[in-house]
Amino acid sequence: MIELAPHNKLGLALASPLIAGSGAVGYADAWPPGVTPDLFGAIITPPITWRPRRGLAAARLAEAPGGFVLTTGDHNPGYRRVLQDHDGAWRRLGVPVIVALAASTPEDWGRLAASLDEESGAAGLELQLPQIAHRNDAAAWIGAARRSSTLPLLVKLPTSRAVALASTCASAGADALVIGTAPMAAGLTPDGGLVEGPVAGPVAFPFTLYALRAVGALNLGVPLVAAGGITRPEDARACFAAGAVAVQVRSLAWLDPGAVRQLTREWDADERGTTRRVGLSALNSGR
Amino acid sequence: MLQTTATLIARATLGPAQEIVLHAPELARALAPGQAVLVKCGWGLDPYLRRTFYPVAIDDETWTVRVPPGGDWGHAWLRAAPVGTQIDCLGPVGVGYLVPPGVRNVLCVGVGEEAWSLLPVVALAEARGLSVALAMEARTARELIPPARLPAAVEYHAITADGGSTAGQWADLLAGLLGWADAAVTAAPLAFYSQLAAAVRGVRYDISRGFAQALYPATFLCGTGACQSCVADVAGGRRRVCLRGPVFDLADVVT
Repeated sequence: MIELAPHNKLGLALASPLIAGSGAVGYADAWPPGVTPDLFGAIITPPITWRPRRGLAAARLAEAPGGFVLTTGDHNPGYRRVLQDHDGAWRRLGVPVIVALAASTPEDWGRLAASLDEESGAAGLELQLPQIAHRNDAAAWIGAARRSSTLPLLVKLPTSRAVALASTCASAGADALVIGTAPMAAGLTPDGGLVEGPVAGPVAFPFTLYALRAVGALNLGVPLVAAGGITRPEDARACFAAGAVAVQVRSLAWLDPGAVRQLTREWDADERGTTRRVGLSALNSGR
Repeated sequence: MLQTTATLIARATLGPAQEIVLHAPELARALAPGQAVLVKCGWGLDPYLRRTFYPVAIDDETWTVRVPPGGDWGHAWLRAAPVGTQIDCLGPVGVGYLVPPGVRNVLCVGVGEEAWSLLPVVALAEARGLSVALAMEARTARELIPPARLPAAVEYHAITADGGSTAGQWADLLAGLLGWADAAVTAAPLAFYSQLAAAVRGVRYDISRGFAQALYPATFLCGTGACQSCVADVAGGRRRVCLRGPVFDLADVVT
């Protein structure tokens, strides 16, 4: 088992280092063919907000070399409806469900954390920091969630500011750091429109790995989770070697569900080798 | 939805596009007219996104897609793939056309390249013994569906701009056929659906729900609803086309 929140009294133990990243399987209600809950150590929901959000009108997606730009405008039915529709299933899923809180409304994280703590079967929260978060703001938002909830808090950092924010987030109450949200980009749609949002897909991976290594070098003593552009077994291995204890996949589940199962098979083989132990031992030694 | 490997078994150039026949029995049996297939167009990670196709023929073990001309590098890869190429596919995606019970006369209305995706529902309706008419509008005669692609009993009306046809003739044709039809299915660029709705209102006084089904020509990323990329303002809200469509009631698309 992998413990994602070793300093939290509730803890967050994962049976697998593979996490379904935010929205990879919707609210655990959108399963690609062949992808099942048992493949994952945890599942993260799409980012939710206090009130329903209609999100952006089309177009939300633009292709880019090696990936894509996707922005939904945090389209979600609001936390009450999400719990009404999905909480029962989460409790029966057999895999921890982590609820993501949207970067667009961090001022609501305190009351959302309190409500989810009381009303839901969530095993933890992923706080998705805005791309331009200032350290003081980040500390205040995370602090509000920390004071409102005992649930394990994963804080997802923008890769472009991960090093600048990591220490502040750990001090403010993050149980684990997720590295991270890829840099903003603009993609062209076939009809000449523009979509602006974080770049996704394999093109995001170099940003993830760079930020992960830099945050790992800070020796903060909190578990690190890699997210962004992980599509191949060697990507995951590089993340473990850089100090991650778990990795998230999202677009891989959307575009090549069979590869998710392949990823877990490769890890099973690695379990008999040394690859994952490199990452885990690096964390344990505080590197 | 299935993820399966299809084998490219035949290709032919027809009009401005290239038609590719893919052999994947399990997926062929699962496909219904109007549903989409997401095709991986490349060996590696680039292009990363799958390409969306609405099959133009569905048989027991095969299905056929039309690859349009143009600079898209995924389509270019597919156009160049030799017979025998193994191609990863996800599908079927979404809700397809339904032939409502109790109808006798089915009108199919297609415009441009989108019209080709009506062929499977034309075949289905004709196989059920219904009277089927297809009305198609295209810019040039080269873009029209050849009559040989249609079952012999299908009544075919084609109008092209380069053939000297006018918008008025197209409207008159639709008005006549809409008066005859018990049900209509359509595949066209979105802008056409308002025009069709006006024609339906002109003949039937209202777009009663259940009369006409329209294909919303979306492209998809995941096909499961997870990514939320394929939204459209239809059916009284902002909906994911892969879950609620891509075939909608015409009344939901134009209101």
